[in-house]
Amino acid sequence: MAIAPQDGRLVELEGVRKSFGPHVVLDSIDLSIRRGEAVVVAGPSGSGKSTLLRCINGLEAIDAGDIRFEGQSIPKAGKGIYRLRAEMGMVFQSFNLFPHKTVLDNVTLGPIEVKGLSRLDARARARALLERVGIPEKADAVPADLSGGQQQRVAIARALAMEPKLMLFDEPTSALDPEMIREVLDVMRDLARDGMTMIVVTHEMGFAREVCDRLLFIDSGAIVEDAPPEEFFRGAKSERAREFVDKIIHH
Amino acid sequence: MSALLDVLRRHFPEFLSGFFVTFRVVAISLAIAISVGTLVGALRVAPLRALRWIGTTYVEAFRNVPLLVLIFISFLGLRRAGVGIGPWVAGTASLGLYTAAYVAEAIRSGVFAVGKGQIDASLSLGLTYRRTMTKIILPQAARTVIPPLGNLLIAMIKNSAIIGASILALPDLLKQARILQARTFQTNETFFWAAAGYLVLTLSATFVVRRLERRLAIRR
Ligand SMILES: Nc1ncnc2c1ncn2[C@@H]1O[C@H](COP(=O)(O)OP(=O)(O)OP(=O)(O)O)[C@@H](O)[C@H]1O
Ligand SMILES: [Mg+2]
Repeated sequence: MAIAPQDGRLVELEGVRKSFGPHVVLDSIDLSIRRGEAVVVAGPSGSGKSTLLRCINGLEAIDAGDIRFEGQSIPKAGKGIYRLRAEMGMVFQSFNLFPHKTVLDNVTLGPIEVKGLSRLDARARARALLERVGIPEKADAVPADLSGGQQQRVAIARALAMEPKLMLFDEPTSALDPEMIREVLDVMRDLARDGMTMIVVTHEMGFAREVCDRLLFIDSGAIVEDAPPEEFFRGAKSERAREFVDKIIHH
Repeated sequence: MSALLDVLRRHFPEFLSGFFVTFRVVAISLAIAISVGTLVGALRVAPLRALRWIGTTYVEAFRNVPLLVLIFISFLGLRRAGVGIGPWVAGTASLGLYTAAYVAEAIRSGVFAVGKGQIDASLSLGLTYRRTMTKIILPQAARTVIPPLGNLLIAMIKNSAIIGASILALPDLLKQARILQARTFQTNETFFWAAAGYLVLTLSATFVVRRLERRLAIRR
């Protein structure tokens, strides 16, 4: 077991490169995230935001550089990668709930299969989490019976059931109708207030302003801004980020 | 009309025994087709290129050779080569292995229909690739695969008649009808009842598949 670094850094990226064929998607990314930090990642479509998250939890293998989680390099394959993924939760734009399982079974699957929890304990934990995300009454429903906002809250509960040290959110509200965005963002805000370390790809700048400690702006696979949100909105350094802020403010 | 019923009444035991031979041929071939087909389908979507290649080779080989030729190879060819197998083994193996190629393709497309997001979600919980397959992908693929498998089953029931018409001379429904026809010269009557027997099998298969489909349906 690697010892966690004393300075409280949970995730560190060093010179991370990732390409798909000839197309360089992440270009020598350096980044470090401390425990308890909530970081928002913004940037134009195709800039590499999803790829960044997928590399951090090993869904994509990087071509060069190093990603460390609690001081331990993310292995390319093998058992180690599964163990690390179990310590990070991920929430997707399209929810990706398991349609053939009930809400409760969605939430208990990870703890039972990966952590070896008993069915009874897993269910108790799942019910508590459904309570926390505000839909305890949907435990026995199937995903198809839920609204988008409810599905996404189940997806958050499913990830939390693994008691992750880090939560990755990839545009969690982009597929939702406006009236459901709030309910999901509220859950995420509470999570951040409870001290969860999280990386959130989102274009919800209200959320960023209110909740996050740092705002990263990615353009063409490089981090071009890394600042507290107020600073970012007051005066972004790069042209691209200023355009982005303009667009958002004038919408 | 009375001639029709008369043929059935007088030769009911022969028809019935033919019906059950066909039923057994189909049941055994189905077991072979499903088990081999699932295995080959899994090879077709395996993460290793060499395994995928084996799966593809199987599918292309068995899908592109006529069933009748497979029967000749397995019955006569193997006998010439010194490994004689009986008509039952030759018939069911040919029909089963032939259909397995189609089953494999149905399963492969079922797996692809499940969607990459499901794999991502499962892996991100920390499940291994193998658990992801058995817990998340295959249970969903199985459900989408039921209707095409139903069609394959019906095709297989009909294809089984090739066995009765071939050198294997298994006394299946068609073969019994041919024997009766040669004996009685009541051509239309005997083949009418043979057709009815196949219809009973295919319609029952359709019924069972529909039930299964409804029971296992996933609402999305
Ligand atoms: N599996 C893949 N194979 C090939 N190219 C890919 C793959 N995944 C992503 N890409 C490409 O990499 C680039 C970055 O993709 P990514 O999904 O990380 O962008 P993004 O910033 O999340 O965009 P969006 O806002 O549209 O979600 C895009 O050009 C995309 O087409
Ligand atoms: Mg994306």
